[in-house]
Amino acid sequence: MSDAMVMPSSRRKTATLVMLYTVLVGYSLITLAPFIWMLITSFKAPSDVFKIPPSFVPTMLFTDEPFANYTEVWTKRSFVTFFLNSAWVAFMASLGQVFATSLAGYAFARLELPGKNVLFAVVLATAFVPVEVTIIPEFLIMRWLGWIDTFASLIVPSFLVGAFGTFMLREYFASLPRDYGDAAYVDGASPFQIFYMVYLPLAQPALVSVFVIAFINNWNELLRPLLFLNSPDKLTVPLGLMSFVNQYEASWTLLMAGSVISTVPLILIYILTQRYILQGFVGGGVKG
Amino acid sequence: MTHRRRVMITALVFLLPTIVGTLIFRLIPIGWSFVLSFYQWKVFDTATFVGWDNYAHIFRSPISLGVFVNSAVFSLIYVVGSVVLALVLAVVLNNGLRSSAFFRGAFFMPFITATVAITLAWRWIFSTRFGVLNNILMGLGVDNPPAWLADPTWALPAVALVSIWKDVGFYMILLLAGLQTIDPTLYQAARVDGAGPVQRFWKVTVPLLTRSLFFVLIIAIVRSTQTFEITYALTNGGPNGASTTLAFFVYQKAFVDFDVGYAAALSYIMCVILGLLTLVNFYFRRRWVHE
Amino acid sequence: MIYHSLRAALVFGVAACPVLAQDVTLQYLSWDPEQLEVERAAIAEFEEENPGVTVEAQALPADKGYWPKLTAQAASGDLPDVFMMSSGFVQEWGAAGNLLDLSGVISDDELAAYYEGAASVGVVDGQRVAFPQNWVAPVLFYNIDMFEAAGVEVPQPDWTWEDFRSAAKELTVDTNEDGRPDQWGFSVYGRYAHVEPWVFRNGGRYLNEDMTGLDLNDEAKAALTFLTGLVTEDQVAPMPQDMEGIRQQDIFPLGMAAMWVDGSWNIANTRTIVGDNFRWGIAPVPMGPDATEDTAAFYAWADMLAVAKDTEHPDLAWKFVQHLTGSSRSASDFLGGKVPAYIEIAESEEWLETDQMPPNKGILLEIGEDNVYAGFSPNWSSWRGYGASGAGGMNGELDEVFNGRKTVDEAIAAFTAFGNDVLSR
Repeated sequence: MSDAMVMPSSRRKTATLVMLYTVLVGYSLITLAPFIWMLITSFKAPSDVFKIPPSFVPTMLFTDEPFANYTEVWTKRSFVTFFLNSAWVAFMASLGQVFATSLAGYAFARLELPGKNVLFAVVLATAFVPVEVTIIPEFLIMRWLGWIDTFASLIVPSFLVGAFGTFMLREYFASLPRDYGDAAYVDGASPFQIFYMVYLPLAQPALVSVFVIAFINNWNELLRPLLFLNSPDKLTVPLGLMSFVNQYEASWTLLMAGSVISTVPLILIYILTQRYILQGFVGGGVKG
Repeated sequence: MTHRRRVMITALVFLLPTIVGTLIFRLIPIGWSFVLSFYQWKVFDTATFVGWDNYAHIFRSPISLGVFVNSAVFSLIYVVGSVVLALVLAVVLNNGLRSSAFFRGAFFMPFITATVAITLAWRWIFSTRFGVLNNILMGLGVDNPPAWLADPTWALPAVALVSIWKDVGFYMILLLAGLQTIDPTLYQAARVDGAGPVQRFWKVTVPLLTRSLFFVLIIAIVRSTQTFEITYALTNGGPNGASTTLAFFVYQKAFVDFDVGYAAALSYIMCVILGLLTLVNFYFRRRWVHE
Repeated sequence: MIYHSLRAALVFGVAACPVLAQDVTLQYLSWDPEQLEVERAAIAEFEEENPGVTVEAQALPADKGYWPKLTAQAASGDLPDVFMMSSGFVQEWGAAGNLLDLSGVISDDELAAYYEGAASVGVVDGQRVAFPQNWVAPVLFYNIDMFEAAGVEVPQPDWTWEDFRSAAKELTVDTNEDGRPDQWGFSVYGRYAHVEPWVFRNGGRYLNEDMTGLDLNDEAKAALTFLTGLVTEDQVAPMPQDMEGIRQQDIFPLGMAAMWVDGSWNIANTRTIVGDNFRWGIAPVPMGPDATEDTAAFYAWADMLAVAKDTEHPDLAWKFVQHLTGSSRSASDFLGGKVPAYIEIAESEEWLETDQMPPNKGILLEIGEDNVYAGFSPNWSSWRGYGASGAGGMNGELDEVFNGRKTVDEAIAAFTAFGNDVLSR
C-alpha cells in the first residue's frame, strides 16, 4: 500500500487525519442516509409514511408483526420467485460477460488481427446508442429467435458481447507486463496457453470487477425484462418493484421493503468480492 | 504453422463471440432503428417513409434543441463531477487507512441500491418547504432557498448531483483497481527525492493512472447520455422540460407518443456528436495517456 | 473458468427451452397492479367456468411499464389477447386497425346494461373497438371539518365560481402567523384532471372542431385565468413549486388544503392517507360564469378493455371481457371512485359505500347522467403533457403560470404552438 498522504511531522499528521476522517465520515453519511431512510420506511405502517415533518421511527418494530411488509412482499407478492429469477439471470449473464469479455479484451490488448482496432471502435461506439432506441428492434430479433418469455433473451447476448467489460479488460491486459508472455513463448507455450496460464490468473481483480458490475447491472435491468418476459413466474425483481408505484396510488412501505430485499444480494456480492478486486499491487508480479 | 498465424487464429476465435454478438444484438438493431429514423412510424400503425423529415423537425423544434442543450449541460456536470470526486475518493482510500473498507462500502452503496426507492429519499431532501436541505439553509440564514426540483435553473443540476452521488462509488472502485497496478516502490523513490504528498499525487499517481482515468472518463460519458430512472423519479423531466435530457426525451417520444422514427433520429444525432467527441478523445489519448 | 462458463451455458441452454402449452392460454395485460390483485378472484372464477383455459394476467404501471410493453408488442403484431385501453389512446389505436371490432358479438340488450356514454367512447369509425370496464370523473373534494371550523357552508351543486373563490379565501388560514398560510383554501396544478373540469364546466374547448389543432375559445381562456388568479392574486392555493416534495394527490389528504379538484379515482388514495383524521366529501365542480346548462360539460371518461385483432381466441377473449366488465363482478371490486360501467352494479347500495368517506359518492352517478365531454385527440398525451411527458406540453406551461413565472397569455401562446406542431405530425 502506498502512503501518499502521510506527513512528516506527527502533529500535522494528526491534524490531517482528523480533517480527512471528518470529510470521509461526512460523505459516508450522505451516501448511507437515504438507504437508512429506506430501511426505516420499510418498517412503517402505510399511514405513518405521510407525516410532515417526516418521522424517523420504524413504527412497525413495536407491533406484533414487525416484518409484515417483508412477508407481504416476499410471499404474497411473489418476490421469492422474482428473486430466484433475478439471481439466475444476473448470475448467468455475469458469467457470460466474464467469458466473452475476457477473451475479447485479451485479443484486443495482446493479439494481432487485421482490423481489430476497427472492431473495437465499433463495439465501443454501439454503447452510445440508448437502449430506448434499439429496444424495439431487439424485441423483434428476440421474437424471431423464439426467445420471448425465456431467460435466453437476457442471458445469451451476455455470453457474446459487452462493451464495458471488453474495454475494461483490454485496458487491464494491456497494463500487464509483456515479459511474462514472452518468457512463456520462449518456453513453447501456445497463444491460448499464454492467455490461460499466464495472463488470466493475473487479471483476477479485473475479472471479478467485470462480474460484479455485470451482476449489478443485470440485477437492476428494467427495460429488457419488461419487454422480453411475460409469464408471472418468469418476472424479475425490478418488475416486481414496479408494481408498487402506480399512477395514483403507491405502496411506499412495500416498495421500500422490496427495495431492501433487492439490495441485500448486491451488498453481499460486494462484500464477498471486494478483497479480490482490491487485492493490492499485481503489476510487479508479487501476486497472482 | 507459424507463431504469427497461430496468434491470428487465436485472436479470431477469441473475438468470434464479440463479432457474432455485436452483429446480431447491436449492429442489426442499430441499423434497423437507423432505417426507422427515416420513417414516420406510429408503432401501432404502418410506417411511412419521410426522408429527412424527422431530422429536419428536430433542428427546427425549440423543444428538441433545448433537450440537446440540457444533455450537454448535464453531461458536463456529471462527467467532471463524478470523475474528479471518484479520483479524490480513490486516492484517499488507497493510502491504507484502517477503515478504508468501511468507507469504500459506504461510498459504493448508492450505486447498488434500487434507484426508484433511493431517489424518493432525494425528493424529500430537496423538498422546497419540508426538505432537509432547505431547512438547513434556512437555519443558516438563507431566507428564500430555491425550490430545487421545481426551479428551471436548479432542476437539471439537482438531477446531475443525484446521478453523481449514485455513480461515484462505481468510478471510485474502477480507479482503485487501477491504483493497484502502481508499483509502491515508485512512491518510496519519490519520497526519497523529497516529493510531498501533493507532488507525489501529480508526479506518480496521475501519470500512472491515466489509462484507468481515460477508461473511466469514456464510461462516464456513455453513462451521462443514458440517464433515465433518476430523472423519471426525481423531476419527470420538469419543470416544463428543464431537466429533460436525451435518453428521457427518447423514451417520451417512443413510449408516450409512440413516435419511434423520431426517437431514433434524435439518438443518431447524438451518436454523431458523441462519436466525434470520442474520436477526439482517442486522438488526444496518445498525448496524455501513459502507455 | 472457461470450462465452467461453457458447462453453465449448456445447462442453461437446456433449461431455457420453451415449454409447450397444452391448453388455451389467454393473455391479459392491465395497467393497474392494485386492481389486478382485486380481479384475481374474478379471473379464477372465469378459469373455473371455462375448463382448460388459463388466463395469464400481468399488471404494469401505466407510463413506465404498460405502454412500453404494449408498444413493443404492437410493433411485432403480438398484442396480448385482452388489454386495457384508455380513452386518450383508443382513437389512434382503433383507427390503425389493431383492435377487434366487437359490434358483431354484442347484442343491443347486452349493450343497454352499460352506461351509454362510457360505451360510446370505444366506438371508432363505427366499430366498437374497446369496451368500458369503469368510468371516472374529476370532482371537487372538500374537507368537512375545515369548512365547519371556518363556519362556511360546504360546496353546493349550484355554487358559482365566486362562491367557490370566497369560500377558498375564508379557508386559507395562517395558523402560526409566520406570514404564510398553513392551511390553503385550494390546491391546483397544471395537470389535466385539475384544470379541464373547470374549463369544460365553463363551456371551454381547447381543440378546433375537427380536432386537428389547438384553438382555445374565450371560455377556456377565462377558466385558465380564473385558476391562475386563485394562485397568484388571491393566494388561496399554493404555488406548485412550494409544495414540491409532496405528491399532488397527497396535499388534500394530508390536510394542507381544504378543497381540491382531481379524478374520482383518488378517492381510494385519499381514504388511505386521511384515515380517521378528518371528514371529507365530494361535489360536482361548479359551473362557470360563461357557460349555459347546454355548454357546461363535466369531464369524464372510461377505462376500457380491448381485444387484439389477430387474437387466436376471439370468442373466448370477448367472453373474458364480458366477465371482467359485467354482472359477474361485485361492487367491492371497483376501488374508490371508479364507477362500474355496468349500470346495475354502479347503482347498487354496496357501491355507494355509505359507511366510508365520502358519504356522498352518488354524486358521481349524477355526473354520469349529465352533459359529459372528454376532449381527447390523437397525440393527446404529448400536447397535454401526460405520464412520462407530464412535465412538458400544456401541463408544463400551466405549472409555469401557477409558479408565477409566465402569464396566462404567454403560456397559451407557447402550448398552442407546441400542440399544433404535435398535431400536424
